[in-house]
Amino acid sequence: MSEHDEIRDLLSLAAAGALDSDEEERVGRHIRLCALCSSALDDWRLVAGGLRRLPTPQPSRGVVERARIMAEAKFSEDAEHRWNRGVMIFLIAFAWVLTLLSWPLVHLVSEGLQGLLDPRLNQAWIAFALLTTFGWLGGGMAAILLSSRHRRERRLA
Amino acid sequence: MMGIAAFMWEGRVGVESEVARLRRGDLDALSGLIARYQNRLYRYLLRMVRQPAEAEDLFQQTWVRLAEKIRHYDSNRSFEAWLFTLARNLAIDHLRRIRPESLDEPISSDSQGETAGARLASRERPPIERIFEQERAGRLAGALETLPVTYREVLTLRFEEEMKLEEIAQVLDAPLSTVKSRLRRSLDQLRDCLEMRYPGENWQ
Repeated sequence: MSEHDEIRDLLSLAAAGALDSDEEERVGRHIRLCALCSSALDDWRLVAGGLRRLPTPQPSRGVVERARIMAEAKFSEDAEHRWNRGVMIFLIAFAWVLTLLSWPLVHLVSEGLQGLLDPRLNQAWIAFALLTTFGWLGGGMAAILLSSRHRRERRLA
Repeated sequence: MMGIAAFMWEGRVGVESEVARLRRGDLDALSGLIARYQNRLYRYLLRMVRQPAEAEDLFQQTWVRLAEKIRHYDSNRSFEAWLFTLARNLAIDHLRRIRPESLDEPISSDSQGETAGARLASRERPPIERIFEQERAGRLAGALETLPVTYREVLTLRFEEEMKLEEIAQVLDAPLSTVKSRLRRSLDQLRDCLEMRYPGENWQ
């Protein structure tokens, strides 16, 4: 492919301002010597200028207003969901901590400090804590799965 | 030149501040962003789907999607490119669902009657001294509409939205080299279309 043909291929991109500096320099050098390419570049610039000046269609005020209302409603709905999720996580954590604390607390009240140091109690408490941990983890996983399924269904609807 | 640069800088800072406010939950910032981008976004969507009613619907969906996703927006990215990516994904999904053939094939303008581009260009009766320019714009808009959607979008992003090639690459999720070759092919096809529709006129 001759230099002339290569440059000719670049002229449309030159008019679109899409050449890198090396290509721009090559095109600039060539069109100073080649009247054919210089004229072709002018024509491409005409097309590019025409595209830049195409009339801009505008959405109606009603459409814009509806878009704003719908987006605001979505934004508020998501904020409410996040708030509800935060409150639920806090309450679950609070209930869990309360459950775990209630066992040693009952022993502290009924048997005093010695009751707390009883190794049998500690083993039973650890087993209880593990059991409730697995219970909450299972519940949490189920909640996440259900929520992602719900989100997917809502997106497909 | 300095004035334009200062204006662009102010615009960019303004957008960033509005996006930051929106992420903090300030809904006034949403109105600001809509006012700033409404015409450009609608124009882009109209160029993509060609039907005003569909473009309006997608316009609304884009802002709802923005409200849904704004917390995941990476502020190191260009907001404009991110917004147009949301719009593009919705438009492509829509076209895939409604007119899957439109993603590949140009539509013959003869079977469509008057195109939206031509309608847009001829909506108002122009003053006599601008008739030639208006006519040319109408022809260009009409020819643009006959191109495949991948070519239409790259042309509108480059010439109407005046995006940099890097931003277009972000919107299209394509390498820069692909954007450049697509831009070249779309201009070539636009010229061929103009030469075929208006033989004898000099379109290069």
